[in-house]
Amino acid sequence: MRFSDKLLMACSSLLKRKLRTILTILGVMIGVASIVIMMALAEGLNRESMEMIEKYGGLRTVSVTEGNGSQTMDIEGGAVAVSSTDPTDSKLSDSTIDKISNIAHVESVYPVLQFQAVLISGAYHMSLYSGKAMPIEVLRDMNWGFAEGEWPQKGDELQFVFGNMVLEDFLDSRDQNVYWETGKLPNVDLMNSTIFTIFDVDAYNAQQAGRSQTQNMGNAQEGGDTSANSGETSAPVIPKKYMIKTAGVLEGGLDDYNEYSWDTYCDIEALEKLYKKIFKNKVIPGQPAKKNGKPYNELFYSSLNVIVDDVENVAEVQQAIGDLGYQTSSNSEWIEQTKQQTQSIRAMLGGIGAVSLLVAAIGIANTMMMSIFERTKEIGIMKVIGCGLRDIQQMFLIEAGIIGAFGGITGLILSFVVCIIINKITGADTSVIPFWMYPSAVIFAIIVSMAAGFAPSRRAMSLSALEAIRNN
Amino acid sequence: MSQSVISAKSVYKIFKLGEERVIALNGVSLEIGAGEFVAIVGTSGSGKSTLLNMLAGLDRPTKGEIVIAGKHIEKLSEGELVRFRRENVGFIFQAYDLLSQLDAIENVALPLSFKGVSRPVRTRAAIELLKKMGLEKYMKHKPTEMSGGQQQRVGIARALVVKPKIIFADEPTGNLDTKTTIEVLHILQDVVHNEGNTLVMVTHDKHLASYADRRVHILDGEIVLED
Repeated sequence: MRFSDKLLMACSSLLKRKLRTILTILGVMIGVASIVIMMALAEGLNRESMEMIEKYGGLRTVSVTEGNGSQTMDIEGGAVAVSSTDPTDSKLSDSTIDKISNIAHVESVYPVLQFQAVLISGAYHMSLYSGKAMPIEVLRDMNWGFAEGEWPQKGDELQFVFGNMVLEDFLDSRDQNVYWETGKLPNVDLMNSTIFTIFDVDAYNAQQAGRSQTQNMGNAQEGGDTSANSGETSAPVIPKKYMIKTAGVLEGGLDDYNEYSWDTYCDIEALEKLYKKIFKNKVIPGQPAKKNGKPYNELFYSSLNVIVDDVENVAEVQQAIGDLGYQTSSNSEWIEQTKQQTQSIRAMLGGIGAVSLLVAAIGIANTMMMSIFERTKEIGIMKVIGCGLRDIQQMFLIEAGIIGAFGGITGLILSFVVCIIINKITGADTSVIPFWMYPSAVIFAIIVSMAAGFAPSRRAMSLSALEAIRNN
Repeated sequence: MSQSVISAKSVYKIFKLGEERVIALNGVSLEIGAGEFVAIVGTSGSGKSTLLNMLAGLDRPTKGEIVIAGKHIEKLSEGELVRFRRENVGFIFQAYDLLSQLDAIENVALPLSFKGVSRPVRTRAAIELLKKMGLEKYMKHKPTEMSGGQQQRVGIARALVVKPKIIFADEPTGNLDTKTTIEVLHILQDVVHNEGNTLVMVTHDKHLASYADRRVHILDGEIVLED
């Protein structure tokens, strides 16, 4: 018997009992829809957590810091204490970037230099402990929104870009009040006010210490002595002030926290150029010094960010960099954990959905059974006039398959609509139907339906032709 | 009598009803020649239908051998029996037993579809036979839209469509009125005498049996008379 004939026979017997066929399809539809919707919710959850990880520094980024071989710098004071024999070995220099670039699966490497400075504007000042200097093109690629201004151009002289909450860090020199205590916003316009920047933080601190000393000793001499110091101690160096322009302020209100809110950014090249001018033969704050107190010729970076070509390779690259003697960190463990979590959530939700498909499958088996009892005679006749046993079985399997296919397709449509509604209500991508779901849901529904139809089809096959035509 | 198409030798069929053994056929031997119209006559429970089932390859005997068209059918498996019937046998039923969802053409063409014949070919064959049966106007009718006589003529066409060596008819006129019964019997006679088919008909009615060339009377599972 030809397949097309079997298909036609199956269709015609399904059409003969329209209502029952529709009800059975409805069962499969709901079963499929419940699985697909559950999976879509799990997928939505998965994407959400992946997006969150992305926000916290990317899925493909490995952050490299210098190895354990040397003492790290003391961030607070900016004082550098190097004690290891060859401290440059595990430090991060341009040659390190070259080395890491050669590791397989590494897409790009860029340096981050954390710098310190003191910013002064009128009566306000702020200690910048860890400004971030990076290549300007990397900063541009972040695609952050600006409230005002924009990134400086490559080759421009040093300009700062402030996070949306940096303003809150300014301290009122008169009463030492800060925003988070008083709720009073500093009277500084980051874009337009004149802001002086002091890079020689050590000198500034020494100067400040000296001044408070004299103030204490001299029992508050009107406090009007703002110009330099009164030459009390061994003449501390007066730190030089520089007028660094503000290129822009990043988008966001004073309470909108995100990864850049508290940070100050600038182009690493421009900073290097300025550093070389300011600290000609002296040690730049935050940088190590040779044993004799002389500075190194090259600049060492605070960290390197390594972009890996694929999330799957992050762990491998991390291992390779670790083998070079550097410390690494990435979100890979977090990703792994999240993956496992979503996996179990998916299994759980899928299981709940599967229950209703199971019920639907039982419904199919029941419908097919009923149909076989009803058509005992018909099956008998077909057998008597020469219909092959396999053909009879296949006709019933095809019937079940058709129910599965229609149930699968309508179930997909239903879940598609439901997902749109869910997303409308929650106002986010709470449920996402992954694209592979479309074919596999239909195929799965067909397989489940045919499995449910298998036992009935065996029964139809083994019906005695004689018994069948006898029951007149 | 020409060469025999059906030959049954001491065929026994014993059913078990619980502890009791019911002997349906008690050593029946029978030869049916090609082109013969044979009626198997007997009362209800005489074993005539059981004999028909044996001869048609629907059932296997408990003992004895049956050779149809040169084939020992007592040794065939169920799958082989189906194939055997498909190739050699046509059936006419008392209740016509057409498939209700198919129209006249599709019903007649059905056995050909089991053989894997393509749709245009089998439809042509079906239309030809239905014309012969005088059903030109009912080609597209479903069984429920036809009278009993018309349905049985469709049934006969369905039996003939595979060009079988033997046709079996089990009380083919049992559900028909007298006038239609005679019509149908004339068609059957015509099929045998003009087309050269072999026909085995089971009936309880001696008058109907008189239309056959030969009658085999059966009682309590044994052939009691042949005339």
